[in-house]
Amino acid sequence: MIQTFSLFPGITLRCCRDTRFKQGCLSFQLVRPMCLEESAMNALLPSVLLRGTRQHGDLRAITNRLDELYGASVSAVVRRIGDYQTTGLYCGFMDDRFALPGDRVLQPMLDFLGELLLESPLENGGFPTAFVESEKKNLIATIESELNDKRAYAMGRLLRTMCREDTFGLPRLGDKEQVAVIDPVFLYDHYQHILRESPIEIFYVGSEEGEQVASLLKPLLSRLDRDYRSLKPQTAFHSCEGSDLTETMEISQGKLCMGFVTPITNRTPEFPAMQMLNTIFGSGMTSKLFMNIREKLSLCYSIGSGYYGSKGIVTVSAGIDFDKEELTRQEMLRQLKDCQDGHISEDELTAARQAILSSLRSTHDSPGSIEGYYATAALSGMKMTPAEYMAAVEAVTKEQVVAAANSLQLHTTYFLKGGSQ
Amino acid sequence: MIPSYYPELDETCYRQVLENGLTVAVVKRKGFTKKLAYFITDYGAIHTDFTFEGREYHAPAGMAHYLEHKLFDMPGGRDVSAEFAAMGAMTNAFTSYDLTAYYFSCTENFHECLKLLLEFVSTPYFTEESVEKERGIIDQEIGMNQDAPDSVIFENLMVSMFEKHPIRIPILGTSQTIREITAQTLHICHRAFYTPGNMLLCVVGDVEPEEVTALARQMLGSEKKEVGKKQPLPQESMTTAEKETCRIMEVAMPMFNLAFKCEPLGLGDEAIRREMVADLAAEALFGESSELYLRLYEEGLIDSSFGGGFETIDGCAMLMCSGDSDMPEHVRTAILEQAERIAAEGIEEAAFLRMKRSALGRRIRQLDSFDGTCFRVCAYHFSGFDYFRFPEVYRSIEKEEIRKFIADIVTADRSCLSVIRPVEEK
Repeated sequence: MIQTFSLFPGITLRCCRDTRFKQGCLSFQLVRPMCLEESAMNALLPSVLLRGTRQHGDLRAITNRLDELYGASVSAVVRRIGDYQTTGLYCGFMDDRFALPGDRVLQPMLDFLGELLLESPLENGGFPTAFVESEKKNLIATIESELNDKRAYAMGRLLRTMCREDTFGLPRLGDKEQVAVIDPVFLYDHYQHILRESPIEIFYVGSEEGEQVASLLKPLLSRLDRDYRSLKPQTAFHSCEGSDLTETMEISQGKLCMGFVTPITNRTPEFPAMQMLNTIFGSGMTSKLFMNIREKLSLCYSIGSGYYGSKGIVTVSAGIDFDKEELTRQEMLRQLKDCQDGHISEDELTAARQAILSSLRSTHDSPGSIEGYYATAALSGMKMTPAEYMAAVEAVTKEQVVAAANSLQLHTTYFLKGGSQ
Repeated sequence: MIPSYYPELDETCYRQVLENGLTVAVVKRKGFTKKLAYFITDYGAIHTDFTFEGREYHAPAGMAHYLEHKLFDMPGGRDVSAEFAAMGAMTNAFTSYDLTAYYFSCTENFHECLKLLLEFVSTPYFTEESVEKERGIIDQEIGMNQDAPDSVIFENLMVSMFEKHPIRIPILGTSQTIREITAQTLHICHRAFYTPGNMLLCVVGDVEPEEVTALARQMLGSEKKEVGKKQPLPQESMTTAEKETCRIMEVAMPMFNLAFKCEPLGLGDEAIRREMVADLAAEALFGESSELYLRLYEEGLIDSSFGGGFETIDGCAMLMCSGDSDMPEHVRTAILEQAERIAAEGIEEAAFLRMKRSALGRRIRQLDSFDGTCFRVCAYHFSGFDYFRFPEVYRSIEKEEIRKFIADIVTADRSCLSVIRPVEEK
């Protein structure tokens, strides 16, 4: 059961009390509209906060404090949730019951979180230049390193191309150029601004009562000077003209990606049917793409599809030989056509249904997956709890799956192949 | 089955060795929906040379991995993945240097799923045609790895660091070696290493332990069969063959793997103790709370991608770190200098106690992960150790052991640096 507390205007605490786990977690997220002007700053912020506080002045002092808290961790959270970008911190910590007699973890953890969020050392009215500059360098390296994973790189190129008119085409961590020009004073001012205005989502999983967590957080939150502004609701895909793009790189395996669009999002009633369609079409080892393109035709090792429910986008990608592009492309479309023509067996339908149900059933089996579900579902506009979602999946018919398949339109294709640029 | 309760961890584990030689371990997780089972054999990519039924075999590189792929085939055109999927379960497998694991996770139909896991892993069914078809898929997997800098940098490191140990050869083998694999060779390796006496079944979840053993008996029989005898792995000199290796690839910035060769661990309590000493040594030398980490981070020589620890594989071991850096050679120099300093000055008591507390806390937290716990129980079992005893091992470690480990291991002689540089740097 999730308990929801509205602690201050625009500040929501959601608690999942569960005594089975050995660790607890708490995420603190500021919710922002995804936009080019601030995405890089939002991505940079948490890393700067983690560099030091007035009491714990450098990385080593921070790690030592976390070591004292039985190896607790605090990490940056920067998520894309539809049209929103969240920025904040995620704490993972051992449950109090394993601590030495009389010792506590949760309370000092939350005190320390408050310190990280609100007691940054200041330099000329901004964050320390050394922290900001070195984290800018790290963030640029992280953005550039997308190139190292060719599949993720190709998928990123596809989404950027097809979402030119949509926030979904903006990189989650901002652009390198945007990062490079961030100034320590401006970043600090931006932080104060978003602390004041943004919706704040706090999510806790652990053995403590919700009321108790709320009261432990009150001192931290009452220090905020709030002037809350709500955000615009999520929107579906903003269309643009599709394209067919090929790029080259010195690689030994090609990556073929296709992007489809659909009016079905996680805010429309057909959502569970589209999830089912995606599973049948390309998710997992029993999907049509896997069974046919990998197992029957031996064209690839990795292949799969993904459904971005907040936007209504389905993508497909596969790692193939350069000369198999046309064949693979035709085959991918043929598998989709099969779904659209209703060639879906009872077994495929059952397998997809069971896979989704099983994953929803085990949502509550780890603190991370509980946080992952609830801390993003509400923001993305998905109103169903796992139980309601399961009931909806149970009720999906084959006709609805076929209808979902027929709502898909090919928008853009991207192929990354070998050779010199 | 006999339960052991570990009060410090609030864990209960049931263990038993069956008549057929199979070890069964059940980690009981009351009140959880998810159930996870690993069926795992003490046979991996490096075990290419062995004797079995009186004959000596030298299998082609990539054999264990190929076998893993092919075990999903069943007679009569049955599709194992589809059968699991119909029950709402997810199945997969992986091959490492020294073991091969098959697993499923489910929330319902646990018995049927467990039965299917035991059945498909112990049913070899290969035709020349199906073995041939798999070659294309594995070739693509090899191609994917050749473009993955993380794999390339590590494989290069192994080739430079070791002279004889089969860890020099990629787990997948190469496009050439996998051509030598046939249905017949797959059968021999399966018979030699997929017998209950060489395997472990580990289940994590809210299940009845007795029912797990009953099913294992029913599916695998009670006969104890011969297990292939692995050839002893070659002894390595502790001096690295080459000190550096470099490759140019399509990457964003230079990356490195830096490793120090260690004596292989062997089995049992002493081995595990040494492993935990090595983990703490890594923490003391270049962990996030170390002086060196802070300095290198602030100087911009490393970034948040930096990390390291101790790696142990049958017949070899190494202390390793990796990350992105414009100047990997400087990182190496700094680590060697810091090691000398620690060797001379030792470790501060307060820092040592904090490190131990942190390491223990992190291991306790990791137990929430079904997959992590199941894997560790299995891996430590093959090392002759009960994983849930880690708190007592940590408590008994003294700081002098850490100092000595760093003094002995972190030297230029034992080091090797593998680097990948971006294309435009040519």
